[in-house]
Amino acid sequence: MDAAAELLAAALRIATPLLFAALGGILSERAGVFAVGLEGMMLTGAFAGVIATHALGNAGLGLVASAVGGAFLAAIVAIATVRFCADQMVTGLAVNILALGLTSFLLRGLFGRGEAPIIRVTPLTPVPIPVLGDIPILGPLLFRQPALTYVGLALVVAMFVLLHRTRAGLTLRAVGENPTAAFAGGADPIRVRTLAVLCGGALAGIGGAVLSLQQVGTFTDGMTNGRGYLALAAIIVGRWSPGGALVGCLLFGATDALQLRIQGLRLPVSSYVIQMLPYVVSLAVLAGLGRGARLPAAIGIPFIRDRR
Amino acid sequence: MRLALGRFDALAERAVVGRSFYRAIAWPLLAVVLALGLTALLILFAGKNPLLAYAALVRGAVGSWDRVGVGLNKATPYVLTGVGVALCFRARVINIGGEGQIALGGLAATWIALMFPQAPPVVLPLLALMAGALAGAGWAALAAGIRLRRGVHEVLVTLLLNFVGVLIVSEALQGTLGEPGSGFPQSPLLPGAAWLPHLLPGSDLHVGILIAVMVVVAGHALLWRTPFGFRLRVLGASVPAAAYAGISEPRTVLSVMSLAGALAGLAGGVEVLGVHYRLIDGFSHGFGFNAVAIALLGALNPIAVLPAGLFFGFLETGALAMQRAVGVPTPLVSVIQGLTMIFILSAMGLSARRPKA
Repeated sequence: MDAAAELLAAALRIATPLLFAALGGILSERAGVFAVGLEGMMLTGAFAGVIATHALGNAGLGLVASAVGGAFLAAIVAIATVRFCADQMVTGLAVNILALGLTSFLLRGLFGRGEAPIIRVTPLTPVPIPVLGDIPILGPLLFRQPALTYVGLALVVAMFVLLHRTRAGLTLRAVGENPTAAFAGGADPIRVRTLAVLCGGALAGIGGAVLSLQQVGTFTDGMTNGRGYLALAAIIVGRWSPGGALVGCLLFGATDALQLRIQGLRLPVSSYVIQMLPYVVSLAVLAGLGRGARLPAAIGIPFIRDRR
Repeated sequence: MRLALGRFDALAERAVVGRSFYRAIAWPLLAVVLALGLTALLILFAGKNPLLAYAALVRGAVGSWDRVGVGLNKATPYVLTGVGVALCFRARVINIGGEGQIALGGLAATWIALMFPQAPPVVLPLLALMAGALAGAGWAALAAGIRLRRGVHEVLVTLLLNFVGVLIVSEALQGTLGEPGSGFPQSPLLPGAAWLPHLLPGSDLHVGILIAVMVVVAGHALLWRTPFGFRLRVLGASVPAAAYAGISEPRTVLSVMSLAGALAGLAGGVEVLGVHYRLIDGFSHGFGFNAVAIALLGALNPIAVLPAGLFFGFLETGALAMQRAVGVPTPLVSVIQGLTMIFILSAMGLSARRPKA
């Protein structure tokens, strides 16, 4: 029981950066733009968060910077894919390469005089919730998490309300399903998509900051290491719903947490085999869902006024 | 699902027809110039002189025959993998699994070379390269199978399989293929008979670049002169049209993915047998994504993939020299690559938007 609760808490901790990115990706994909660039947005956010926290001495400003960093990369995606109708998948890949190069370059070029410096910031500490945190066993593990983990969970609810209970959410989904009809109904698909991609990028950027500011306390080259792609898989596993994405992220968090623990158990399998788990599990889940995973109908298709 | 990628066929197609060849190469060239210009600003921002930096880069890339040889070696796996990616993208199959396919190709080639150390010099590398190609093809076919059977988008499948493929190599190096006591995850040195012969005595340049040139020519012929190439292009232009013409989508997707996987696996084998002479953990890092960038820069034309691959290869060897000479960090290369891709993709998207003449 103790071990299970601890595993769950670790899963939640590991899932938090993925969760922010996945929620951002849902915004973008529900509006009809593939979110392959999540990886780069997270990385940019992780970088901007650490740099700003270090330079300004304030983690709150660091978080703002990480959102701006993610949105900056998202702006490139939005201009290329929404304005210029570039292929969304490959553009996402391109900004990921760009982000990897840009963060590593700036880290060395601006701060390290050619070498990669290590910039330490104090990781954000857990914030216990008064009453719930005192529940035996479960309390310390589930209700003594760092602040951003609670924010992430609250965002799941907020995102659901936004998408399914507000006019803006309805417009966003309409643009993702049938932009021409949404346009006829008075919405501006170009604007909606641009905004959705930008906000999604800001969320993914904060996800990166969760990783660098809350979990690690520094920035290293390519530190997101595929988490953006896992977030992408979590979106699909969760069928483009915020709650589903939370389940997907927790699933990946749990396999990762399990991996860290199995390594301590001296099992006859090597750590590499266990490291494959998150990827194999997501492949298996995706394959299991198969064609049941229905994409937003207009995803990947650029909206062009005056055509059709 | 229609992707904007296929529609830029118009741009590439016109080039091959011949009339506006310049227009087709103008976009990629413009993209490269823009990317270099923007990165020059970054270099300025980092407090260095971009002209000096680029001069050092060019000197480091092509300043001596030695450097040219290193650059050609660097470009070889990019060109090999890039041709496969270009063929896939032609059929609008977004295969970004190059990295995993290269990793497993290198693994298979290493395994064969270590299994048969007594084999004669010409036979052993050939066998090893064939094994590499087979392994890469198998890994890509697995991705194609999951996409075709279960309808999961190939971008996700190939991406996730990349992570698994690279980890399989790490696992093999920790286990049976690893060199005991080396302190680093790598295989023992391969028997000399397995090494790819050098082209020039005293230079690092190995025969891989010749293989790459042959693959480029074969890829060009395949795309433009064979029924299979025609099927690829029809499928890329319109799935319903392909179905109407009796072209089997699953069979074409499986074939082109396997072919691309074989080329990537071959690239992995060439890298191991020609450059490192052993399997090293993480040797394939970033190769797959570079291949995508190169296929795009080559406007998905196998012939044009060759100069695109050379450009990226020389860019990387030159960047190392640039870092040493003027202290501009090498990650700049990724910035140039990413920007180039974004500009080309935007140009492709824009040109597809205009009504066709």
